Formats: sequence, C-alpha cells, structure tokens
Amino acid sequence: MAPDDKGALFPAEGGVRERVIAFLQKAISQGCFDAVLMPAKAPGTDSFAYSLIGDGQLLKNAYPLPPVMSVQGAKAISSLTRSGKGKKKIAALIRPCELRATVELFKLGQVDLENIWLISIDCPGALPLAEWAKDPKKAEDAFAEILKGGPSESIRPICQICDKFSTTGAEDLHIGVPGKEASGILLIPNSPKGEAILDCLGIAAGEDISGWKDQVDKLTGARVEKKRQAQKELEAKSKGLDKLLDTFSKCINCHNCMRVCPICYCRQCFFESDNMQFSFEDYLKRAEAAGGLRLPPDTLLFHIGRMLHMSLSCVSCGACEDACPTAIPVAQVFSLVGNRNQEAFDYIPGRSRDEPPPLRVYQEEEFEEVEQSHAAVPAKQEARDG
Amino acid sequence: MAKRLGVYVCECGTNIADKVDIDKVLAAVSALKDVEVADRYKLLCSGDGQGYLKQSITENGLTHLVVAACSPKQHETTFMKVCEQAGLNPYLFQLVNIREQCAWVTPDGEEATDKAIRQIRAAISRVHYHTALEKKGMECNPDVLVIGGGIAGIKASQILAAPDRKVYLVEKTASLGGKTKRFSKLFVNMESGPGLIAGEIERLQKSKNIEVLTESEAEQILGFLGNFEVKVVSKAEDKEDKEQNFNVGAVVLATGFELFDAKGLPQYGYGTLDDVYTSLDFEEMNLADGPTQGKVLLKNGQPPKSAAIIHCVGRAEKGYCSKVCCLYSFKFDRMLQSQLPGVKIAHFYSDLCIPGKANQKFYEDTRESGVEFVRSAVTEIAGGDKGLTVKYETETGAKGDLAVDMVILLPAMETSSDARKFAEMLNIPQDDKGFLAEEHQLLSPVASAVEGVFVIGCARGPQSIAESIVQAEAAAGKILSALVPGRKLELEVKTSQILESFCTGCKTCIEVCPYGAITFDEDRRISVVNEVLCHGCGNCAAACPSGAARLKHFTFPQIYQELKEVLR
Ligand SMILES: Cc1cc2nc3c(=O)[nH]c(=O)nc-3n(C[C@H](O)[C@H](O)[C@H](O)COP(=O)(O)OP(=O)(O)OC[C@H]3O[C@@H](n4cnc5c(N)ncnc54)[C@H](O)[C@@H]3O)c2cc1C
Ligand code: SF4
Ligand code: SF4
Ligand code: SF4
Ligand code: SF4
Ligand code: SF4
Ligand code: SF4
Repeated sequence: MAPDDKGALFPAEGGVRERVIAFLQKAISQGCFDAVLMPAKAPGTDSFAYSLIGDGQLLKNAYPLPPVMSVQGAKAISSLTRSGKGKKKIAALIRPCELRATVELFKLGQVDLENIWLISIDCPGALPLAEWAKDPKKAEDAFAEILKGGPSESIRPICQICDKFSTTGAEDLHIGVPGKEASGILLIPNSPKGEAILDCLGIAAGEDISGWKDQVDKLTGARVEKKRQAQKELEAKSKGLDKLLDTFSKCINCHNCMRVCPICYCRQCFFESDNMQFSFEDYLKRAEAAGGLRLPPDTLLFHIGRMLHMSLSCVSCGACEDACPTAIPVAQVFSLVGNRNQEAFDYIPGRSRDEPPPLRVYQEEEFEEVEQSHAAVPAKQEARDG
Repeated sequence: MAKRLGVYVCECGTNIADKVDIDKVLAAVSALKDVEVADRYKLLCSGDGQGYLKQSITENGLTHLVVAACSPKQHETTFMKVCEQAGLNPYLFQLVNIREQCAWVTPDGEEATDKAIRQIRAAISRVHYHTALEKKGMECNPDVLVIGGGIAGIKASQILAAPDRKVYLVEKTASLGGKTKRFSKLFVNMESGPGLIAGEIERLQKSKNIEVLTESEAEQILGFLGNFEVKVVSKAEDKEDKEQNFNVGAVVLATGFELFDAKGLPQYGYGTLDDVYTSLDFEEMNLADGPTQGKVLLKNGQPPKSAAIIHCVGRAEKGYCSKVCCLYSFKFDRMLQSQLPGVKIAHFYSDLCIPGKANQKFYEDTRESGVEFVRSAVTEIAGGDKGLTVKYETETGAKGDLAVDMVILLPAMETSSDARKFAEMLNIPQDDKGFLAEEHQLLSPVASAVEGVFVIGCARGPQSIAESIVQAEAAAGKILSALVPGRKLELEVKTSQILESFCTGCKTCIEVCPYGAITFDEDRRISVVNEVLCHGCGNCAAACPSGAARLKHFTFPQIYQELKEVLR
C-alpha cells in the first residue's frame, strides 16, 4: 500500500521525542498494543539499548531517535521472535534502515511479524558510535541540536547519503515529523494493521500531508545526488582488486562487521567454519606462488564472500562501519556494491514484504548481456593476439 | 593411509596426442604431491585400455585416480566401472576433459599443452579432497496411482492390479464412471453407457488389490519412476478431511475433459434462451434418473417436434476438431427418433468427421432416416414466441432461417481444469491447447515427458471411449514391463545435505529445489533433504545464503582446490 497524501495528526507538545512518547503512551493505555520495543536509556547510564516496554510510565526513558545505533533494530526484533511469535501485541519503533532490514529478515524466515506492529519514523541520521563513546554527554547534546533542525554534518557518512530515511511502504505505520510549526506528529498508516492503530486511537487519517511529503521529497532528492557523488568517489578509490586490498588493508579480521550486520544472521558464519581452514601445505604453496602470505589469510576473501552472500539485502544501515575498530568505511563499500547488485535485479531490500529476494526468483531469460560479454571474450582475445 | 595417485593421459588416437605434448604434461605432473604413477595410453576406453588401467590401479595400489581424456559425458561411467572392477571407490576418481575442452578448441599446441597441465593439476588437487561415496539402491515400488475414474482410469486400473501390485484409483467425484456413466446410449452400437460402466465397476471390484478413493484428490506427488511419494486428501462432504500418504512406482493421469463453455459464444443463446442445450445437457435429459426421467421435453413440458444440432461450437476458438462430436450427434438422432417418431432434425455443420471402419454406415443410415444436413455457418440462434430460429449462411453466401423447437449445441471438448495443477505438480508440459502433452505424438503417445508418468484418455486430447481404452491398455503395458516387482533402482549418490548447525531455516532452498526434495522441520526450524528424491542438481547448495546446503562430491574445498589450480 503506497502512502497517499493523507495521514492523521496526533496532537502533542514538545520535541519529537516527547510527541512520540505521548502517542505511544496513549496507544498503550487504549490497548492498541501491549508493549513497545524501542531504544531506551538504561537508568543511571548514558547507553541506549532496545527495550521491551509494557508500562506507559517507563516510556519516559524511551528514545525513539537515540543519537546512535547501538544495536541494529532488526536484530532486536529477530532475537525476540526468531523461534516463533509471542501472544502479546508488540509495536516495534525503529529507524527506516532497521525496518528495511527487518523486512529482509522476514522474507528469510528470521522474524515472525504476525504479532508485531512495525512503526518507522523520519530519521535524522545517527552519530558515529565511536564519536559518541568518546563523550556521550557531548554527543547527546549535539544530537539534540540536529533533532531541532541544526546542521547535520556530524552524522555518520552513511546517513549523510541515506535516501531512504523516511517511509518505505513496508511498515504498518510511519511517523512523519513535520515542520516545527506543526502541532503534533503525523501518523501515516500503510497497512490494515496500521489503520487499526488509528481506529484504536479514535483518530482519522484525514490530514493533508502533502506539505510533509514535499519536504521529504526535497531532502531525498538532495541525498540521492549526494550519494551519487559520494559513491562515484568511493568507486574511484576502491574499484579493482588492488584498490580493494588497499581499502581493507587496515582490517584486523575481527569479523565485527559481520557480527553486527542484521543481514549476516547465519548461525555459523561460513568464513569462520572449517570450510575456510586449509592445510599448512596449502598455505605454503600459496605463499610460494605469491611471494608471501598475510596471516590470518583470506581477509579480502571474507569481505568479497560476505558481499556475495548478503549485498542484495544490504540496507545501508551503517552498523558494520560503526563496529569496525579500524575505521574502514565498510558500510559505504558494502552499500555501493549492494546498490549496484540491487539495481541489476531491480530490487530494493525492504521495499515490500511480498517481493521475493532475487536468489529465489528464476527467470529463463536474464542477464543476457552478461552472457554476451562472456561469449565475446575469445573474440576480443583474438583481436588482441592478432 | 598415505595417498597414492595415478594420473593417466589418453592419446585418444591422434585426437589429443596431435595437439598436446603429452610427455611434457607427464613431466609436469608426475612430481606433484602423492602422484605415484603418471603414464600415457593410446586409447584408454578400448577394451585393452580398460584392462591396462585396471591392472595399473591394482599393481600400484592406487588410492585415487585421475584420467585425462574426453568429455565425462562420453566415458565417465566407463572409467568409474574400471575403478569398481579394480576395487577402487569410483568417487575417488576424477576425469579431466582435455579433448573437447582443450585439444579440439585450442589452436596452438603449446597453449594446449599448458592448458592441459593446468586442468590436470586442478584435478589432482581436487581428487585429494574426494571422499568415497557409496551407491545406494532401493527396490522399485510396483504399485500404481491412477488419477481419474472415468473409463480410461477404470480400464487401466483393472489391467494393472495384481496380487503383487496395488492400484490406487483416485476419483474427484463421489462415483466412478466419468462422463460415460451419463450417456444413455453409446455410438455406434447404441449400448447403454451406465450399463457398460456398471459392468466395468463390477470387474474392478473383482480384480485384486485396487483401492478406490472417491471424493479424493492427489495433493502432492514427488519422485520418479519406481518411487513416487503421494499425498491424497479425501474430502467427503459429511466427513472430516482424510489424508493418506503412500508410495507408488508410476502415475497414470486420466482426468478426462470438460466442455467448452458455450456461454462464451452468446450468438448461440446458451444460458439465455430456453431450449438451447449442450450435448451433455441432452445426454442428461435422456437418462432414466435425469431431470426429465429420460424424456426429451421442452421447457414447457411438451415434446419437441423439431430439433437443430449445431456442430463445432467453439472449434474455431479452440483451434482443433474434437473428433467424436459428429459421431455422437448421429447417436442423438437415433435417441430423438426413437422417442419422438416423426421428429424433424437438421444438422448445421461445416465439416463432418467420421473416420473409422464402423462409422460410415452409421452416418449413412442417419441420412437415410430423413435427417437433414445443412452445410453452413450458424450466425445466430434467435428466440421468439413460437420457438427458436436458426439463422445460417451457406458457403455460397445464401442466408437462411429455420424454425425449430429445440437446439442442441456440440461444444468442443477441452482440457480438464485440473490439467495445469498436475502439469505443475509433476513437471510435465501441457500442449498448446492445454491438454497434458504426450512425450511424442507418434512414437510415445501415452507416456509423458517425465519417466513414470502416463497420460491417457481425454486428458491428452479428445478421444472416443474405444480410443481411451486402447490408451489405458498401452500405458498399463508400459508400466507392467517397467515396474517389475523386485527390480532395483539406482539412486543419485551426489545428493545434497543440509547441515543443522548452519541452517537458519530461511527456506530459500525449498523454493529453488525443482524436485520437491526439501521439507521444513518445524520443530528444529531447519530444512531437511530427502535423499531419495534429491537429484543432486545443486540448486540448493548454490542458493543457500548460509552455506548450510552442501552437495556431496561438489564440496567447497573440492571446488576451491580445483579453481585454485586452474587460476594459479
Ligand atoms: C456429449 C458426449 C457424448 C459422447 N458420447 C460418446 C459415445 O457415445 N461413445 C464414445 O466412444 N465416446 C463418446 N464421447 C467421448 C467420451 O466422453 C470420452 O471418450 C470418454 O469420456 C473419455 O474417458 P476419460 O476417462 O478419458 O475421461 P472422463 O470420462 O472425462 O473421466 C475423467 C474422470 O476423471 C475425474 N477427474 C477429473 N479431475 C480429477 C482430479 N483432479 N482428481 C481425480 N479425478 C479427477 C473426473 O471426475 C472423471 O470421473 C462423448 C463425449 C461427449 C462430450
Ligand atoms: S542510514 Fe542513517 S539516516 Fe538512514 S535510516 Fe539509517 S540511521 Fe537513519
Ligand atoms: S553490510 Fe553493513 S550497511 Fe549493509 S546491512 Fe550489513 S551492517 Fe548494514
Ligand atoms: S558473511 Fe555470509 S556466512 Fe557469514 S554471516 Fe554473513 S551471510 Fe552468513
Ligand atoms: S570490522 Fe573492520 S576490522 Fe573487523 S573484520 Fe570488519 S572490516 Fe575488518
Ligand atoms: S537455504 Fe540454507 S539456511 Fe536456508 S533453509 Fe535452506 S539450508 Fe537452511
Ligand atoms: S541438490 Fe538440492 S535443489 Fe537439487 S534436487 Fe537435491 S535437494 Fe533439490
């Protein structure tokens, strides 16, 4: 269901956070859902973590848009429902990239959405995890300014080129954050489940939301352009085996990027399995052939392999980059490769719950141009030799 | 145990030897790890060659074998047999194609030699990682599933059933007999259809080992000749759904036909005008237990004084002649005449189709009895106070009208609405008209493209009862000769396996498996391969995002080792 130009205005005061909390409190008190899964501050600390909150009062610790993405929300939902749905109705309030990852996991059987209400919200981006860790207080203050509409150069590079920071169409309900002058937040239903929330709150989707949409479209356009530029530059820096080796030269093989990635949900990562263990002689042979071998070996193979495994579903959420101890632009590289692969299949991860992942779709006539280019290789070679 | 590899390069007469410098190849590979012997031979596939190979394997105590020769399509099984004879597990062998993929296609001798070395090095590297695999056999299941209890299905079941062979006859409706049981008379001898069916059912009940499942449908059929796993669900109206699972060795599809929907051609007035009937409606009217207790009557309760029979309704739309309509229409003439002496009948036809040794006379007798034949195209059936009017146009363009009391349409016979379901379930093609396609129209008319699945009767196109029975007998004969009780089936060895500790339960493999060999274990939340159904196509291993599905003999280390040497 594509959002049309109507939504409901939920009247509330204060900043975005207060307004969203007011909405959630009301929804819980009216019994629209039993609990909310969303980021909250652990009492007495500066850290944010996904929490399951069933008590409207406790929502005061909740942060619909925390300054950082400490855990990818899709992972939180998956850990909650992977082995089946619960009885309670749970609303999960997550950022759009987290939502898209959740939808991918849904298609791959890793989450059960039957009793989950997916709610997304216009996202201003997140700060790099490392920046925040240096001085959480300062980072929080800086982020508060961004939430108020202040300059946003400090958000993560992947967020600065994020062109899917608003509704994706696959959520049950999207929270639109209109301009400052508005007297509430917009609730935009995208599914019968989303509509049920509005019914339960007793408000109608009668509000004209074209003003908000224009604002989203404008920023999207700017982001698309910025992303195009940034990806072009990154491509120049990382394309080809040598440059890719350079890009990942600082990699310490910690596999953090894989562990935090929502799409890398494997029970046992292939690259940590005995499939990737070779005999001593084998390594020696390779060392001889190449004049030397970096150990542990196959660092780049891990990254290329990981791309091969999951880039069609990469939602450009930046979790991997946040987790990289040596500041490699992992997410930017994966997002670049992912976007190219996704374009080839006309696939946008997380766009729709019904769209099958490309690996499951068989088309007899597909990628003929690739076949052609391979068929043409001998001819080219002949031309070169002759 | 230390590995002892043998590497043999075949000269293939001059085919390989003329292009590839075999001595250079042998020099390059003989020093590789664990290579015990490296030798050349003129024609390894010849009797002498095979003997030499066998002897060499035993004498040298080889544990692994690499043969560089022609395409595996040609001689892989030959050399695998040699291995078996020499007591070596045939999966500890790798064939390298240096003929089609090297000698024949590489113009330069030096390049070809270099390429052959790479290919053989890759095979040596790979074969190190081979593991012995055991061939598995299973006894073929001689039982048969027949779907559709019309005359074709009944006849096939009768012939197939035997003390050591069970037949499951699955019929969708509540009773056997198909269309035939509703035909009061059959051409050309005007026997009774219900009588014929009653006799056949009696015979069916007498023959041993037939289980008739009425009000039932086959919901799933997986497998291959000798081993199909079948799920049948019985849905009797007043009872709970009952699911039955059993195995059979062959499947016979006899799901029959349906009539073209005459409402699709509104000019004939079917469904809008009173007293316009289809052929099947007319058959019903003639049955003692039909709506008029067997009397041909108009809607107003009066017997008709005249009738028009319209041929070929929907023939142009379907694009084929249904072959039996002309013949049963002459049967209709007799049915009308015997009840309604003096009734006037006119046939409107463009072509008549009356082949066969007994049928010409049937037609001529019909003409002589005073039935009129008007060669023309019917443009419209019009209604009115005084009955119906057939408006027609002859070949010369002359237009005419005929007033009649009753109109009988002869709609085309079309494929049963379940044909698609079975085509998809069993992976068998439908022809361009939608009927279940035969393997070959001339040479293999009752087999389908899938071994072990047969199509008979009107499921494969319009037929008469006699023809349907001939096909039932033909399919039964084929099955009886193929499914001999006790016969062994060889199963695929290179099957897929899903590793529980890797599987995330994403079900991707289930969607890509063309043989339905993977199921989901809800308790463990992982996918599981049925090795008996797996054909080893490798789809699941390629598609599994988590590396959980793995194909035996194409494991990651094997492929990796091979590629590494090719690319080095
Ligand atoms: C009006 C008319 C008159 C005819 N008169 C004559 C005649 O006089 N003489 C003659 O030789 N031929 C006649 N024919 C042709 C004759 O009807 C066919 O040759 C004959 O019915 C073919 O038998 P069958 O078993 O192939 O198909 P059917 O008779 O169509 O039987 C098919 C059976 O399969 C069952 N079935 C369908 N789908 C499923 C499913 N999914 N699962 C389980 N069961 C299923 C059906 O319920 C049915 O019982 C006539 C045809 C018509 C239309
Ligand atoms: S990538 Fe950044 S801006 Fe985009 S949705 Fe995620 S957190 Fe928000
Ligand atoms: S690869 Fe990185 S950016 Fe892509 S989904 Fe995984 S964590 Fe997010
Ligand atoms: S890299 Fe591949 S195997 Fe490892 S967790 Fe990610 S998808 Fe799974
Ligand atoms: S997180 Fe960074 S350092 Fe660790 S494996 Fe990934 S890219 Fe390498
Ligand atoms: S595709 Fe792989 S991970 Fe997914 S269910 Fe099948 S075996 Fe398991
Ligand atoms: S290899 Fe996999 S996909 Fe192919 S038949 Fe076997 S289980 Fe099915």
